[in-house]
Amino acid sequence: MKKHIPKVFLILISLWVLSTALKSYKGLSKKTTDSFDVNSFAQLPIQNGGRIKPIDTLAKISLRIMSNRQAVRLPNGDKLTATEWIMDVIMNPEKADKHTVFRIDNDQILGLFEWKQKNRKHFSFEELRPHLQTIDEQARTAFQKEKELRSVYEEQLTNLYNKIMLYEKLIPLIHPISPFTSIPEKEYKFWLDLITTGKLPGSEDQTSKLPEHIKPEQLRQFMEESYTRLVKRTNIGIIPPSDPTNTHWVSLGQSLMDVKQTKTIHPILNLYSTLILSYQSNEVKTFNQTLEELHSVLGKRIHENRNQFEYFFNLLQPFYLCIVIYVITLLLAMTSWLVLPTTFQKSANALLLLTFGIHTFGLLARMYIQERPPVTNLYSSAILVGWGAGFLSIFLERINKNGIGSAVASIIGIATLIIAHHLDASGDSMEMMRAVLDSNFWLATHVIIITIGYSGMFLAGTLALIYIIRGTLTSSLDKKTAKSLSKMVYAITCFSALFSFVGTMLGGIWADQSWGRFWGWDPKENGALLIVLWCAIVLHAKLGKLVKDRGIMTLTIFGNVVTSFSWFGTNMLGVGLHSYGFMDKAFVWLSAFIISQLLIMGLSLIPLKSWKSYEKIT
Amino acid sequence: MIKLIVTTTFYTQSDMNPLYKLLSSLKLTVVLLAFSMLLVFFGTLDQIHLGIHKAQTIYFESFFTVWPFREAGYSLTELGLPLPGGFLIGILLILNLSCSHFRYFRKSWKKTGIALIHTGVALLIASGFLTSFLQKETQMWIDEGAESNYTTDPKDAELVIIETTDPKKDIVTSIPHEQMTRGTTLTHENLPFSINVLEYFSNSASGKPTKEDPGLIANEGIGAKMQFKIFEAPMTYRHDTINTPSSLIHITADKKDLGKWIVSPFFNDRFSTQTFNFQDKTYTISLRPRRKYLPYSIKLVDFKHDVYPGTTIPKNYSSKVEITHHEKKEVRPALIYMNHPLRYEGLTFFQASFGKNNTASMFQVVKNEGWLIPYIAVALVGIGMIVQFMMHLIKFLKKSK
Repeated sequence: MKKHIPKVFLILISLWVLSTALKSYKGLSKKTTDSFDVNSFAQLPIQNGGRIKPIDTLAKISLRIMSNRQAVRLPNGDKLTATEWIMDVIMNPEKADKHTVFRIDNDQILGLFEWKQKNRKHFSFEELRPHLQTIDEQARTAFQKEKELRSVYEEQLTNLYNKIMLYEKLIPLIHPISPFTSIPEKEYKFWLDLITTGKLPGSEDQTSKLPEHIKPEQLRQFMEESYTRLVKRTNIGIIPPSDPTNTHWVSLGQSLMDVKQTKTIHPILNLYSTLILSYQSNEVKTFNQTLEELHSVLGKRIHENRNQFEYFFNLLQPFYLCIVIYVITLLLAMTSWLVLPTTFQKSANALLLLTFGIHTFGLLARMYIQERPPVTNLYSSAILVGWGAGFLSIFLERINKNGIGSAVASIIGIATLIIAHHLDASGDSMEMMRAVLDSNFWLATHVIIITIGYSGMFLAGTLALIYIIRGTLTSSLDKKTAKSLSKMVYAITCFSALFSFVGTMLGGIWADQSWGRFWGWDPKENGALLIVLWCAIVLHAKLGKLVKDRGIMTLTIFGNVVTSFSWFGTNMLGVGLHSYGFMDKAFVWLSAFIISQLLIMGLSLIPLKSWKSYEKIT
Repeated sequence: MIKLIVTTTFYTQSDMNPLYKLLSSLKLTVVLLAFSMLLVFFGTLDQIHLGIHKAQTIYFESFFTVWPFREAGYSLTELGLPLPGGFLIGILLILNLSCSHFRYFRKSWKKTGIALIHTGVALLIASGFLTSFLQKETQMWIDEGAESNYTTDPKDAELVIIETTDPKKDIVTSIPHEQMTRGTTLTHENLPFSINVLEYFSNSASGKPTKEDPGLIANEGIGAKMQFKIFEAPMTYRHDTINTPSSLIHITADKKDLGKWIVSPFFNDRFSTQTFNFQDKTYTISLRPRRKYLPYSIKLVDFKHDVYPGTTIPKNYSSKVEITHHEKKEVRPALIYMNHPLRYEGLTFFQASFGKNNTASMFQVVKNEGWLIPYIAVALVGIGMIVQFMMHLIKFLKKSK
């Protein structure tokens, strides 16, 4: 019976993963006839932030920035997915204005509107509307200060201002929101007639609303000005370029301005107009038909597969699956130290392999979507640090078969994926690479090697944590385990020293190529140097027999501190050519992490006789 | 007659020269590495206040330094942390490396990897010294369609007096800013007058005069004509700002007062030049970033600043240039863009900045004769690591057989 437990775990969890994957896959092509086809809408391609993505990604990112949530909660308890929400925003703004999506945490800002701290943090645009003037004025003064000098209130205010600007940017994505008419298609026709004939279009109903003394030229000027404003307001591309060598998609405003030259309305605009009308009047059949037409016009391009895949990736959320399985793995591995060691060790190992597979899939999927090597920013470095630790741990577990490999892989996997999740809140994690970083060769060598070096450092550090905690606080550390831990720490430290050194030197060569100096004492470079120096200290201290096992463990835990400083701390200094990810909230977490490591180092220094595992080790 | 005496001493572990023993010990290695870490950490922290360049000179290119505690508005500057500087640590590390090499080295293939790695590391440290002495960074700004045959150093200023009487030839007299301390009188054989430095600000700003500080007051030139008020400003070390020096100088000949002039890089191309006549000769004066002339000129044909569609995120900056070497009668085109500098005649030109609405390009111009050394060092360490790794692998494979 015991023999089958690992298989049961593996099968159960695999079934869960498979069903999620299947559900997400079905979501891609599921057709609905009795309601709006949200899945199909979610896959409409747009160009934002320099890349083509499904509208679902735009919705998800925007909603996360505004509300820090994945879905919108309605007063009746129902939930709207990000795509359902953006459908309201861009096709029925009046309804969208009522959705509570603006997160405000700061009670000083609430006080600004004379709102008392209620038991909610999310507010609707409608609620904010009377205070827009105040927000604008207050934010303007805050923006004049440098980011580092702003108070928490000012910083939160600029955040709120940016959220409102983002909302304002989304609204006219496919709908020109003009005072002329609520039917975009009619407005387009009117605009076209005005341009081609130079006269007021004849008996159209909207002209009857115009006062008689208005001249066509004045009206043309007025419309042109409003479209110019539209161009400035949103630059999200909705129309692919007709020339395949051009990579620039055209936004709604730009397309309307282009009418002056092309003398035609782009058919995609008319299709979107039909879509809007059918959405507002709840004509499900027309809506779904128009969507299909839109897809057939937009979809005749290579990006279609990639777009569909990205939507699948959004639905599947592989890294969320990973966190869940890593947690189960960790629990199983820890159980194996208490009861039924072989059974639970094997179960944990099986799940580690499964979740590592999903982690790898997520990593590869991002590379495919982005067409880049795996690490392009802090977010993706977190994903790779966890992956690298998992990769190394699989070997550790294979050699030692004591559950420790599975446990450390899970701990680092959970921690790094949670870090990634929080980094994701600030925008598109698949952003474009700034000019100087735009080099796939160096991204694929220097950046990956350095990041795997971080993996090694954290892996060795976590192994040392297990040694110290199990040794001091539990009686579960026996001689054999202690010896295998010590061997693992040494091997992984050698590995990290190698990777950190090679990575740092490759960075030096890249810097020499792009900035003209091999070494510039830039914070990020110094951070990498600190890791190399620390590895050198640990290795020399061991070789020179200056410290014994316990000392090596204590030093290795400090490696966690050095690595976290190098990874995040250096970006917080806000100086240098590398400072591409300035964060403030993260500072508190980094400090807490460092303090926790120092405390455990302190714990390791209590006399060996007081260790709970003292008798077993000696 | 002095007799040559050759002595050979065999040291055993116990009567080894204590200094040699210390210098070759692993303990010293660990201590030095620990101090390097402290130095790098505190040096990096202080970059917030000093900027990268200043912190580099204070921490990494010095023998001793003190890290002042100046976080969060505390004025505990006297509670500094003394640290050995980068030069001292570097020298000691090299000594330590060489001594322990001689102490521990045994002729054995097993040690090849380790020896190579450590030689590489020593070379890397040495190249750090070389770079800090040899490397010179300057800039070159060129407008589209224009050409330039000199580089400038914004961290360094020079007072130049140019005699422009002869339309065919200019006689340039340059005075480095180091000599322009307040109260000095500057004379030069080229100049029939003397220059008295009344005031010199290493950094300055324009603004409104107050009762306490009326600013520099000139009675000649742009300073007098345009009522351009200049005040002393604290030195800045931030990476995104530069110091703009200004000076008030009084020019006098034996019997004649030629006026008090303000000279400053503030008065750039947009202003007319400051000119005066004396003894039938015409002179222009200016304080400008120090220039270094090259035997060739570079013309900016086209500058491109590409962004990702629908964003302001830069995708690439590139400058199409044409180099004309007058002596060699050589003309060659080149493209300078991100990660692809131009190496020419010992100088390396990097795309660094741009301006004037994308019609001007700035190159970082780096001169570093030792640029190849780190590459060699890295190669040595790399080979050493591979050798070491292969040996362990072979040992491991033999064992498992």
